[in-house]
Amino acid sequence: MSTIISIHSFRGGTGKSNTTANISALLAMDGARVGVVDTDIASPGIHVLFNLDESEMVHSLNDYLWGKCSIEEAAHDVTGHLGSEIKGQIFLIPSSIKAGEIARILREGYDVGLLNDGFRDVVEKLKLDYLLIDTHPGLNEETLLSIAISNALVIILRPDSQDYQGTAVTVDVARKLDVPKMLMLVNKVPSQFDLEDVRTRVEQTYDATVAAVLPHSDEMMALASSGIFAIRYPDHPMTKGLRSLVDQLKA
Amino acid sequence: MSENLFELAIQELKARTEDIRPSDVVLFSEPLRSALNAMIRLNRFSLTEFQEKLEFTREETRQIADILVERNLFTVSKFSNDEETFYESRLSAMTRPFSRPPSDIWKKIN
Repeated sequence: MSTIISIHSFRGGTGKSNTTANISALLAMDGARVGVVDTDIASPGIHVLFNLDESEMVHSLNDYLWGKCSIEEAAHDVTGHLGSEIKGQIFLIPSSIKAGEIARILREGYDVGLLNDGFRDVVEKLKLDYLLIDTHPGLNEETLLSIAISNALVIILRPDSQDYQGTAVTVDVARKLDVPKMLMLVNKVPSQFDLEDVRTRVEQTYDATVAAVLPHSDEMMALASSGIFAIRYPDHPMTKGLRSLVDQLKA
Repeated sequence: MSENLFELAIQELKARTEDIRPSDVVLFSEPLRSALNAMIRLNRFSLTEFQEKLEFTREETRQIADILVERNLFTVSKFSNDEETFYESRLSAMTRPFSRPPSDIWKKIN
């Protein structure tokens, strides 16, 4: 039985792609077969974390949505890019980074249902244990559909008033869609904040489980998306927080 | 009570003039909303499983399933037989214009 996990934040810049890449790596380090889909078609980026170069992208999610390839043909095995710590496998379905292709999607739109059909197909065809959906920020049709088919939802927010308000909307929608497991992740918490206070406040505000509260990390900033944090810094407190999130997703 | 809930479910489904997408489900009342959410996550399911979630009679459940097939949220599976009807949830809603923006998105959220 495979698990579909959507990773969402109401606002941009919360560290959604970084978190998605780290979750995938931690799951694969335990031997799982993991798929990652970059549905942020307007501003793709997660491929950078997996060191997938544009020249290696034979097909992208855009090609699948335009009927040029099957969803599994758009999946790239990036396991070899990540090092020997990965015992399982990671397949990335990147969005195109070609300006013309991004513009075409924005201009013409696409069938969001087809995107979700693709999620189920790729789980089956690649025999995935987990499929991670790196969603767009905000709420749109794609996000609602992703949540509707997901077994688990990770909602990322920062300790910021704008994030708090927007996240309430996402939490409400997730409850209406009966998502079986909803976990909150508070990210980029400034060092002067008490992490336990932040956890309590978020839990009380949303009446939801906070899987981890992650401090702002200079090491993460310095890494600058050139690799996956949990692999590079396995003993860092942030990695421990991410590991706790993964354990709760697996439970 | 159950009869009223069934009537309400039928009313809500018939009020939709276009295809029903999985995200439209948030607009429906209980028990229809929860039952549809569960079936969409299952992807492949039987009339019996749908009935167990709805807690309507088999005939009432079938009437609802028929509307959902008409509205393209469900398709009848080829594995159906005389004793049991099997369905698959359908995520595409092809009768909507390809590039139409989701104008009802805020209604769903509100």
